[in-house]
Amino acid sequence: MGARRVRKYLRQGFAMLKGMAVTFRYLFRPPITVMYPEQKRPAVQPRFKGRHWLTLYEDTMERCVGCELCVIVCPSQAIYVKAAENTPEHQVSKGERYAEDFQINELRCIFCGLCEEACPTGAIVLGREYELAGYTRESMIYTKPMLTEPYPGASGRDPKREV
Amino acid sequence: MNDQSRVTLTIDGTPITVPKGTTLYQAAKRSGIEIPIFCYHDRMPPLGACRMCLVKVEKMAKLQTSCTLEALEGMVVDTTTPEVKSGQEAILEFLLINHPLDCPICDKGGECPLQDQTFKFGPGRSRFVEAKRDFAKPVSLGPVLVLDRERCILCWRCVRFGEIVAGDDALKGFERGFHSEINTPFTLPVRSKFIGNTIGICPVGALTAKSYRFIARPWDNQPVQSTCTLCGVGCAVEFDVRGGKITRTRPYEDPAVNDVWLCDLGFFGHTFVHHEGRLRRPLVRREGGFAETTWDDALALIASRLERSSGPRVAMLGGARLTNEDGYVATRFFRSVVRTPHLDHRVDALARGPDLRMSWGMTTAIEDLARADCLLLVGCDITETYPVIWLRMKQAVDRGAALITVGTRSLEIKPSVRWQFLHRRTHGAEVMRALGESVRGSPPRGTVEDIDREVIAAAAAALGAASRPVVMVGREAMDAPDGWEILLAAGEICRKIGVALNVMRGKGNAYGASLAGILPDAAPGGRPLEEAAAELRNLWGEVNEGSGMTAPEIIEAAAAGGLDVLYVAGADPANDVPDRERWRAARARVPFVVVHDAFLSETAQSADVVLPALVAAEKDGTVLSIEGRVRRVRAAAQGPGEARADGTIFAALAARLGKTMGYSSWEEIFNEMRELIPGLALDGRMVSRHPPMDAAPDMGRAWIQDAQGYPFALILGDVLFDRGALMARSPTIADLAGEPWALIHPDDAATLGTVEGDSVVLSSRRGSVAVRARFSASIRPGEVYLPRGYDAAPANRLVDAREPLTYVQVRVLVPATT
Ligand code: SF4
Ligand code: SF4
Ligand code: SF4
Ligand code: SF4
Ligand code: FES
Repeated sequence: MGARRVRKYLRQGFAMLKGMAVTFRYLFRPPITVMYPEQKRPAVQPRFKGRHWLTLYEDTMERCVGCELCVIVCPSQAIYVKAAENTPEHQVSKGERYAEDFQINELRCIFCGLCEEACPTGAIVLGREYELAGYTRESMIYTKPMLTEPYPGASGRDPKREV
Repeated sequence: MNDQSRVTLTIDGTPITVPKGTTLYQAAKRSGIEIPIFCYHDRMPPLGACRMCLVKVEKMAKLQTSCTLEALEGMVVDTTTPEVKSGQEAILEFLLINHPLDCPICDKGGECPLQDQTFKFGPGRSRFVEAKRDFAKPVSLGPVLVLDRERCILCWRCVRFGEIVAGDDALKGFERGFHSEINTPFTLPVRSKFIGNTIGICPVGALTAKSYRFIARPWDNQPVQSTCTLCGVGCAVEFDVRGGKITRTRPYEDPAVNDVWLCDLGFFGHTFVHHEGRLRRPLVRREGGFAETTWDDALALIASRLERSSGPRVAMLGGARLTNEDGYVATRFFRSVVRTPHLDHRVDALARGPDLRMSWGMTTAIEDLARADCLLLVGCDITETYPVIWLRMKQAVDRGAALITVGTRSLEIKPSVRWQFLHRRTHGAEVMRALGESVRGSPPRGTVEDIDREVIAAAAAALGAASRPVVMVGREAMDAPDGWEILLAAGEICRKIGVALNVMRGKGNAYGASLAGILPDAAPGGRPLEEAAAELRNLWGEVNEGSGMTAPEIIEAAAAGGLDVLYVAGADPANDVPDRERWRAARARVPFVVVHDAFLSETAQSADVVLPALVAAEKDGTVLSIEGRVRRVRAAAQGPGEARADGTIFAALAARLGKTMGYSSWEEIFNEMRELIPGLALDGRMVSRHPPMDAAPDMGRAWIQDAQGYPFALILGDVLFDRGALMARSPTIADLAGEPWALIHPDDAATLGTVEGDSVVLSSRRGSVAVRARFSASIRPGEVYLPRGYDAAPANRLVDAREPLTYVQVRVLVPATT
């Protein structure tokens, strides 16, 4: 057996030991696995991107003006918006235009947050909720009533904020 | 390079040679250098209003506007120096000072030159903190336009479009400086047939379309290139489609036809396609009404009725709404499967008029109209019938061409007319003969219809001296009591000046219907039946190559009980035939009427079977335009429910009758047509040959009739915006058309005691219609003008087609509410 080969076996043996040392070390630490869903971690990071919300102004006016900028920026073409015109009797948002229909396919969404970034009115936001699952594909297409926050601030964003 | 007509200059370091008179902007564009612009539009002369196109020219002290500055020999131009850059930034900053920057709610967003230019050339940040100009918005300018004055950058494109391109001065600029705004004269609703074009050329979102308001963003739209089939011009269009629905129609540049323009009918007239009233399933008459049924049942019923009757006891009317291919399949179906020679698309023709003996369409190319030096319009209201053709004629007029009109009314294009000869409804031929006599002849003295013959002679001299004259005859002349004589006189003038007559007649794809052979006396391509018979038999098998009845004859035969089945496809004879009484008589005596239509039209309502048909925007194929150009139509939308193409329906019926007409695509049909029709090719031109006219049949003078109690002569005309079965369902067009109306001379109105807007009843011996009275001195006293195409006031209710002229009385029904 040449000296070179001996050195090679030693090096490999040492590397193996080094790896096993790591495993060995963790053997005596408490486990960090969370027994989800019985157990849940307290909160996700502040900048976590989860389920979408369409936010409202303090006076319950919709922020969204149906401009479709989120539609064009979305890399996975997950958003559908159909705009319509506000009338004095039916004033949904500030200005002349509002989103009559708004749908997001949460299965397509990659939670990149570009829609939130593009939105000129701060209407669309990505919330903290990450428990997004459904029994059918259709149920994962979120409609406007599902997306609109139930009351101003319900999504966790300040309804008075300026963008 | 010492050519005197060309100059060489340097732009951004690159030498370029251009024809003398080219502007710097154009020269730069040719060498692929982009200079931002707002006010300049290449179909209009430069103005220099916006200063966006600044460039640096060596040895010139200040920055120059490149859209106005002519390129000169040896100029050294720079478009990218820091000086130019700061100039561009400053201009954009100025433009944006008063701009509301409400792109998110603006319909121009995403296709807005101001957005794009600011992004590319702008400063990126505003220093303006003061309050912006504040206008009430949005403002409605009539059924078409919505104006947002805050967004307007005062480039004057829209105003100049009305002045230079359309000639209707629809929009004007008001006030000065800070308060400047665009509006209509007297803030009335816009009056124009071309205002849709201003939406496209407005470089910001100041002018937007009501019908497209918040409907889609550019990135939602899938453009489908096609052809407008709403009149005969055949403008190239692009349908924008979102989710299977046409969201808007835009012009597609075609230098030979519509250039970059459309008329408002083309812009806004295609909405009926998605109307909820579209027929979705076949309808069969059962006791007391229609019942929906399956295609199988409907086709079986029709086939059994067709089987039971001998060929010549079946007749077909209509075809102007079909594509060429559908029309061809219809011809084959009737001539070779049903074996009847009675088929005619000219449902609206008068039995006595000359138009049944002529082929319709233009011999002059639309493109060449702009170079004409004398234009004669006889009974032809060009803007109401073939609007985009007028834009070409306007170019000729602006270049100095003399425009002569002969007719009963003063037309909308009056400001461009050099000689206007008005005549009574019954005396057109006399004016035309006087005109003809003076062309290359000595002018006799005296007057015709109160017109000094010397004036007629002056017009005739202009015609005679012209090197590129154009003569157009319209439907109003052909339908006149002396229509034959007018046509003969026009033919005589054409012979003298050596041009071919343009027969401005026919709607939609009437020319394609003729081409396809939906005529009683011609084979496809207008070929004589005997000549084509052998080829037809070769292609189709058995053929009835006899000469059949014309549309008016079919109606009469039906009324006399001579038909078993009347088949109507792509027409609404109840409203289209000149005399509704005759249609009623015909309908009452025909035991079985089949109608293909998109809606339950007046005719369909009285049919026995109604089959839901696709419309042009849902089909692939070709149509033929008034100048004989073969144009492609492409399916932009899917039809509603179970609607089918007419050709498919005929093929299915043929199969039930034991014959095969298997075509798998429109190309296959088109190729078969090409075998029969020499010269037929995509984008080719099929120039119609007008058979030489012999003497007019003697109509006598019977039409100068005793009109006791009916003091007004009735003049009928076609209008661009009407409320027929289709346009009543295109909301913008229905709005533009308004309620049915009639024109009364103000003097007559004074005698009658009517006020403008009164609801009046026009009655003839035949029937009556209720309309709103409009006053206008564009007609003569003693005559009333009534537009066709309003289903609520059908003009054919008044007409007795046996009488050459209809007389009416006018009664006030309800005074106008003020
Ligand atoms: S988060 Fe990204 S992928 Fe999801 S909807 Fe928004 S833009 Fe589209
Ligand atoms: S959510 Fe924002 S970006 Fe999307 S349509 Fe509404 S306003 Fe526009
Ligand atoms: S409305 Fe549009 S086209 Fe007209 S002047 Fe203003 S910006 Fe120009
Ligand atoms: S001129 Fe005729 S073909 Fe052209 S857009 Fe108007 S209706 Fe359509
Ligand atoms: S584009 Fe030259 S001044 Fe407006």
